[in-house]
This record gives sequence, C-alpha cells and structure tokens, in this order.
Amino acid sequence: MTPVAPTHEVTQLLIDWSNGNKAALDKLMPLVDAELHRLAHHYMRRENPGHTLQTTALVNEAYLRLVDQTHAHWKNRAHFFAIAAQLMRRILVDHARSRQYAKRGGGARKMLLEETMMVSPERRADLIELDEALNQLAAIDPRKAEVVELRFFGGLSVEETAEALAISAVTVMRDWRMAKAWLYNELSNET
Amino acid sequence: MKPERWQQIEALFQRALEHDSAERSGFLDQACAGDQSLRREVEVLIAAHEKAGSFIESPAFEVEARDLADEARQATDDSVKRAAALIAGQSISHYRIIEQLGEGGMGEVYLAQDTRLGRQIALKLLPAQFTRDAERVRRFEQEARAASALNHPNIVTIHEIAQVDSSHFIATEFIEGVTLRQHMTAARMKLGEVLDIAAQVASALAAAHAAGIVHRDIKPENIMVRTDGYVKVLDFGLAKLTERQAFAVDTEAATRALVQTHPGMVIGTVTYMSPEQARGRAVDARTDIWSLGVVLYEMVAGRVPFAGETPSDVIVSTLERESPPLACYSAEVPAELERIVDKALRKNREERYQTVKDLYLDLRNLKQELEVEARLERSLQSHASGREAATDSGGQAAAAAIGRESAARTADVGVAHPTSSAEYLVSEIKRHKRGVVVGLVTTVLALVTVVVVLSIASHSWISRPPKQPETSAAPVRSIAVLPFKSLSSDASDDYLGLGMADTLITRLSSMNQIVVRQTSAVRKFISPDQDPVAAGRELKVDAVLETSMQRVGDRIRVNLRLVRVSDGSSLWTGKVEEQVNDTFAVQDRVAEQVARALVPQLTGNEKNLLAKHYTQNPEAHDLYMRGRYQWYTSATDPAKKERAIKFFNQAIEKDPDFALAYSALADTYMDLASDAPPTETMPKAKEAALKALRIDDTLSDSHRSLGIVKAYYEWDWAGAEQEFKRAIDLNPNSPEAHSAYGRYLTVTGRNVEALAEMKRSQELGDPPSATGLLFALAGAHQYDRLIEEGRKMEPNAYLHSWMGVAYSEKGMHAEAIAELQKAASLSRGATLMKAQLGHAYAVAGRRAEAENSLSELKALAGQRYVSPYDIALIYVGLGDKEQAFAWLEKAYQERARRLWALKVNPSWDSLRSDSRFADLLRRIGLPQ
Repeated sequence: MTPVAPTHEVTQLLIDWSNGNKAALDKLMPLVDAELHRLAHHYMRRENPGHTLQTTALVNEAYLRLVDQTHAHWKNRAHFFAIAAQLMRRILVDHARSRQYAKRGGGARKMLLEETMMVSPERRADLIELDEALNQLAAIDPRKAEVVELRFFGGLSVEETAEALAISAVTVMRDWRMAKAWLYNELSNET
Repeated sequence: MKPERWQQIEALFQRALEHDSAERSGFLDQACAGDQSLRREVEVLIAAHEKAGSFIESPAFEVEARDLADEARQATDDSVKRAAALIAGQSISHYRIIEQLGEGGMGEVYLAQDTRLGRQIALKLLPAQFTRDAERVRRFEQEARAASALNHPNIVTIHEIAQVDSSHFIATEFIEGVTLRQHMTAARMKLGEVLDIAAQVASALAAAHAAGIVHRDIKPENIMVRTDGYVKVLDFGLAKLTERQAFAVDTEAATRALVQTHPGMVIGTVTYMSPEQARGRAVDARTDIWSLGVVLYEMVAGRVPFAGETPSDVIVSTLERESPPLACYSAEVPAELERIVDKALRKNREERYQTVKDLYLDLRNLKQELEVEARLERSLQSHASGREAATDSGGQAAAAAIGRESAARTADVGVAHPTSSAEYLVSEIKRHKRGVVVGLVTTVLALVTVVVVLSIASHSWISRPPKQPETSAAPVRSIAVLPFKSLSSDASDDYLGLGMADTLITRLSSMNQIVVRQTSAVRKFISPDQDPVAAGRELKVDAVLETSMQRVGDRIRVNLRLVRVSDGSSLWTGKVEEQVNDTFAVQDRVAEQVARALVPQLTGNEKNLLAKHYTQNPEAHDLYMRGRYQWYTSATDPAKKERAIKFFNQAIEKDPDFALAYSALADTYMDLASDAPPTETMPKAKEAALKALRIDDTLSDSHRSLGIVKAYYEWDWAGAEQEFKRAIDLNPNSPEAHSAYGRYLTVTGRNVEALAEMKRSQELGDPPSATGLLFALAGAHQYDRLIEEGRKMEPNAYLHSWMGVAYSEKGMHAEAIAELQKAASLSRGATLMKAQLGHAYAVAGRRAEAENSLSELKALAGQRYVSPYDIALIYVGLGDKEQAFAWLEKAYQERARRLWALKVNPSWDSLRSDSRFADLLRRIGLPQ
C-alpha cells in the first residue's frame, strides 16, 4: 500500500540520525521493514521447489532504494558508509529481535534455526547472536568488527570497505577471514 | 584476551592459511613451539574457517528477508516432510506423484505428472471420513464439475474427480503460486493488490452464483495467488462434503456439523463463517459475500474482523460484535473501501450486498478511481517544473510516504492471525493421527460449548438479558454521549459540540435495547477535558461515547470512541469525514455507525428513526442547535432562555415544519414559567407543543410538555395523564418522561406509582429527576427515607430544599435551616428557595428572619416576577392564615405553576383543615 520513499529522503534521515536525531530512526525503520517484506515476498513467490533465484540483484535493488550513496550531503563516501552500516545493523538486529519476541520467546526460534540448518548445509547467521558476538569482537579488535559491520550489515564490497576504513583491500580480506572464523566459532559454541 | 595474545593468534591463523592444509600441522608445531593452548586456539579458528562456508557472506539484509520468508513457509515445509502419505514416484491412476505441495483442510495435495497427457497437475486426496456417503460425494462432484465447467479464469479447472480403491481424489490444474494465506503472511499488501485480488475472487463467485453454486468456504487458504498475479479460487463444492447436517432440521445438529472435529480446524473455518452459517441456518450466495468481506478486511487490516481465542469466542464475535473500522489498522483506507467492507459484513444478510456482482463492481470502480488518482498525482508531479518545485513536491511525497509507512508499521505490531498456517496444519496432522475416537470426543465438547455460547449470545441480542454480573465482557446496555469536543480553537463552535451530541442523542434514543442518557444529564460534561470514565461512572452507564470534531480545510472530521466505563478500554472506534457545511451527512453517518456498533440488529422502525431528519434545512438545524446550547447551559439564567427562544423562532422561520424546534420551544417556555407569569409562558408552551405534535405526533418530548401544560396550567388532570403515558410509550428510556409522570402521580397523591416512576427515572440517570424521587417521598410523608436518599445524591438546590422540608417536618429546625440556606445560595436567589427558607425560619420561631425573607421577596416582586405561591409559603409559616389564603388565591388566579405542590408539600399542613384549602384543591382538581 506504500510507495517507497525517494532515496534522498532516506539519505536525509541518515544524516539526521548521524547528527543525533533519534526520531529519524523511527522513521527509517518502517522503510527498511517494507524493503525486507518486499524481498521476503520475492523469496516466497519465486522460490518454489526447483526454482533457484539470483537474489543478489534483489538485495542490491533494495539497498539502492534505501540509500543514495552519491548524495552530496556527505563529507565523503567513507563517512556515509560507516553511518549507513551502523544504522542497518541496528535496524536489522531490532527487526530480528522483534520477530523473535513475536514468536513468544527464544525457544521457538532456536528450534527453527536448527531445522533450517538441517535443510541447508550452510549455516545462516542468527542476527541477534551475531550482533552480540560482534560486540565482543569489537572489544578485542575494533577494526575487524568494523569490517564485518560494513560488509555484512552495510552490504559493502571489499573495495568499498577498504575505502571506508582507509586500509588496503588485502587487509580487509585478511580481517574478514579472521573475523568470520572467530564469529563462526563463537556462534557454534553458543548453540 | 590480551592484545598481544590476540595478535599472536591472528598472525598464526593467517600464516597457517597460507599453507596447504597438509602442511599446516607441521607449520603450527613449529610456530607454537609447545604452547598447546595457543595452538588449540589457532586450530579452532582454522576449523571454523573451513566450516564457515558462506556464513555471513550474504548481507544481513538478505538473511533477515530470508528468515521472514522462511517463517511464512515453515509450516508448509515441515508438514510436507512429515506427513507425506504418498511418496514421490508412486502412482495413483495415471498420475505419478512428484512431491507433496501441502495439506489443506480437505486433504493432502500433491504435484503429479499426468502420464497420459504429459502435463503437471495438482492432485488432492479427499479424507475418507468425508467420502463415505455416496450421495454426498455425488452432489459434491456435480457442483465441483459445474463450477469448473464455467471455464472462468479465476476458478480452478478440474480435470478429473475419480476413485481408486477407497480413495477419492481430484485432479486439477497445477497453480504455480502461493495461497492467499501465505501471500498475506509474507508481505504487507498494497491497496491496489488487495482490491485486485478481492475483485478476482468476486468475479469467480459471481460466475458461480449465476450458475447456482455457492462456495460456502471462502477463506485465504482456498484462494491461490499465482506468480503472475492471477487469482484462482479452489474447492468449489467441497463444502458439500463437510456440511454433513447443514440442512438438518434442528440447528444444533447443523452447528455440530459445522464446528465438528478438532478445534484447530474449527478456528480456521469459523473465522470466515457468516452469521447465518454460524447459527446453522441454510445459506445462500450472500454467505460467500460475507466470507469475502472477512478476507478483504484481513488483507487490509492484517487481522480478521471477528477474532477470539476459541471457536466459540469467534462465533460470538461474529454474531454480536461490530468489526473495528479499518482506519484503526491502516491510516490510508479510503472511505469507500470502509463502506464496501461494512456492507459486505452486515450481520443481517438482507442488508448485505445482495449480489456478489455489486460487490465486484464497487471493488473494480474503487480500484479504477485509485488508479486514476495515482496517475493524476504522477502527472502533476512531473509537470511541476523547476528544480525547487520538484524538490519540494518530492519531499512532501516522501514525507507522506513515511507517514503512511509509520502508520502501517504501527498497525502491524501485534497483528496476530487467528491461526497461523503452521498451527492450522499441525492441528490437521494431529487430527488425522488421533483418529475417530478423539474426533468424537472433541465433537461433543465443541457441541456443548457452542450450544452454551449460542444460547447466551441469542439472549443478549434478542432481548436485554436480566441483570448480568458486571464482567469486562458484559454487553453495553447504557451509554452516554458526551458533548463533542472541538479540536479547533474556534470558540464559536462550542454550540456545535453540544448540539451535535444532542442531535445524536435524540436519534439514538430510538433504539430500544440501549438506554441513552439524555442531553440534560450529559450537558454538564461540556468542557473539553472531561475524563470519559469518570463521566461514565457518574452517569452510571456501561459505556461512554467520546467524540472529537476537527475542521480540515473544507471538511469536518469526526473521530468516535466508545469507552467501556468499567475498565476504560476502547470498545470501538469510528471515523466520519464529510464536507464541513454538510452537518446532516456527518450526523447521519455518526448515528448510523454508533448505532451499528451498539446494536447489531435494528428493527426497521429503529432504523427509520435513526435516519430521521427533522428538517431538511441546514440553517434551521444550525439555529436549533444554537438554541439548544443556550437552553442547556442556561441553568437559572432567564436571559439565556430568552436567547434560546429567539434561536428556535428563527429556526422555525427558516423551516415552519421543523417539529423539533417547536418541541424545544415548548420546553423552554415551560422552563421560563418559573421566572415569568404562567399566563405569559404556558399558552406559548402549549401552542408550540401542539404545533410540534401536529407536524410529528411521535415526539415524546412534546407530549410531555403538553402533559405539563394540561396538568399544571389547565388543571386537566385526566388529559395530562394521557399525554405523559404517551410520552413514555414513545420513548421508554426518557428519564424526563418518567419523572414528569412521576411528578404528576405524586401531585395527585398516587404515591406508590409515583415512587415506581421516579425510581425508573433515576435508573435512567437524569439528575433532576433524582430530586423528583425526593418530591415523591415528601408526598408520601417518608421523611426519614427522603433524608437517607438525599444524602446519597449529588447536591443541588432542589435536593437541599427537599431535605430542608423533611428536617423541618421532623422538627429538626437547625438542620432544616442549614439545608435551605444551601438551597437558596445554590439556586442563586430563586424565589422558591428563599420562600422555603423564610418558612423554615418562621416555623423554627425565628420570626425576625422570616419577616426579613418576606419583605425581601416582596421587594423583589417589584423588579421581577415572584410567584404569589412563594409569598403565601412564608405567611403560612408565620401562622398568618388570612394572608396565606389571600396570596394563594392570587396564585390560583394567575394559575401559578407551583400550586401543584399544594397537596404534597407538608409546609401547607396547617391549612389543610380549613375549608378554604379544600375548596382550593377542589377548584384545581386535586384530590383532597
């Protein structure tokens, strides 16, 4: 029932939020929520047995809707990336949390995850647990946590992450694989 | 962990990964140099690295979206894996099973290959318990085939209905898509899509109905949404198999048939059940209209209109409650959609859309309108040239979009589907496994609950149930309409708030099931900061209607909220928006909505009265409301009453046939009769009341007014009683009518009847009538009880006055004087109160003060009207019989209104033995 807000509106909200306007977050959340539902809907509709769908395009499309990375308001792209990733992390984790809450407690969710894992050999991250583990990682090695935040929550490529953190792409890769292994291990130990 | 240690681990981890896995062990042996714990840590990380695969490689956004999709799909997936009765590769007839697609209320569904025609089909196996009756199966087949033969694009095509061994199955076209249930769960739907889907379902139903086929089980599980947006309605005729005794004679059996088996299944079904289905009555095409209405509502609101924890609760809700307006859940619901849903969800099918075609046309038209509007908006935006203009409108549109989104999101919070597909399917599976015995037990249990619930429910909508305990679920039997609050700061709108409430009260009073507090009772809550719960407690009502009005441009918006007094919860909310100058339309829609929220089924006569316009002239009506405002706020201020009279006369000038204005005029003149000679006011009151009744003989208020004139001015007691009785007949819930009759009965000495009427009036909640009870008790000489009752009441001048009289009669002079002083001060100098006080002084032996009161009254008489009755009252207290009779004679000559109290007021007792007193009563026509 809702058209998507123009990207510059979202960008403005991001700026507002980065300037400390808490209300901007409340306005952003529904926008992200709508995009999530849009994407989920695609999965629902198209992923019937026998169909595989190239979803990267969809995710990118959703991101483009949400953030206008070329917007002139930003001091630099790096600053924008950092803010956007931070914000996405917060919104997505909240989203997952409220979904978990809606299912009346974590028990149900745990079971659901295990079953998902049985079906697919790949482990899909639990955003809430990941968020907590990422906080621990940040205490040990802040830059690695940032890399994860930018790539995983912010959806950035290796090059963009490198640019945002003013480090080389190789360093990003090295940070990434260390962080990924450490996080994977953390999450495996928990469950 | 120490940073050095972390760095050490990382360095080893990175370097180890540069080695082939075969070399790693050797590398680590060397690098860790015997530090086993270091080595373990690195090895753990390396193992994690190898296992992690695509872990966190997809963005979180995608992960979350997939989780959402999974949640929606989970149930289906699980059940498919667990419950597959046929396995892939197995064949039934010439169909080879490929996989199970799902399991609905009516059996498992498989994707299969038609080996003869080389196409994919959907194969549904019918549960054996539904196919034992061959006759039923035949009727189902007949109907299902007939529907399929319509070849309608929105009706699923049936290829074959057949039997292999003992299993019946249906082979239909395979629809690549999801059920509407899954579709709704996965994503919030856009309005255009909602209308599109509903219209397609309506179109399918229209074709089926035209062929004499009723679906009977329209619900999101039976509606498939294809990937390309096409909608297909499934399972026509299938209800024929399940409605085992739907057409049996007794309704209990019918209900059992509908609500049988496992509760989990029941919920899924009763949610979309029409009231007539829920009652086990025979159904027709209009039952599908209802069910589609529920589906439409759910698509928009994200929740069903009639919800409940158990099937029985859902049924009660379906039968009794009004659905919350869609506006409560979604900010941008067009009024037209609200109307369409309302009309599809009328409990009485006679009031519903009569054909699904009409519903279809309304949906299609609305969809087209919205599309045109959207196009218009787009073209307007693209026309806005110039960078500034473009930025600006874009910003606004975005702001609007966010506004809508936020609202929609808020609406989403706490959305609970009555039964998720997961619960539904799980319970289905359990049902299959538990078998017949459990099924039988649950049938009996469900039957018992439903019969009990239905019998309770039928009581509360057919007649007012006898004293029910006040539980939170107690039905609303009495309401108070508070003066509408104006949200605009325009003080000139004040009259509108009370005037609108007054008009609404007049209209709602036509409903017999609900007692509506009269304007005289609610007028005191005119200030905007009223707490509805406190007001409701004071007025002793079950619920309070709180209303706010707001002018938005050239439109007026009215928000309605029905608040339960016992717990302050919102029972119902509504919204009306109309052109600001069309107060009629506003009032019509407000009255209609509120009435429907309160009483599901109104009689034809009630409906007529609810919709009744007493004038067609908006100006006349506006003047009427202004007049009523003056009158209701006049208290003891004669100037306001004069202003009220002026407004009513102006209203009559605009519309000489405006009965209500005459009726109000009569009331006001009568009220003035205490402040002006009755010879001036009462004939005018009578004339106005007669005119009102000539135009509209059904006005309770005018009959009451006429009764008062006949009794206390014309002393035509028999004629008066007829009028009072007629007033009560016309509006049995009017406290004013009961108290007027009660007063009449008191005055004429019929104390027992009088007390009954006054009690009734008090129950109906009119504060002035409460003192009528005291009046009746004084007439019955029950002074102790009078004092006792008086102590329980909210103090006002009349109350203190009667308390004073009672104390006086008991010889408790100090108390009497104290009460009467309060009465005089509260009434701000009403001469009757002064006189009664003077009388009490005299009786108490405080002659000087009594004389004082007397001369004060006489002096006052030079400035304004003072009833001779009042002066006589002091004289009788002073023991001056001659003067008392002289003034009473004067009162008689001018037909002073207060002479009514002559028989009742004990203050006159010392004159009763005098023949002149008996003569006076005889001349007035009062019994002696």
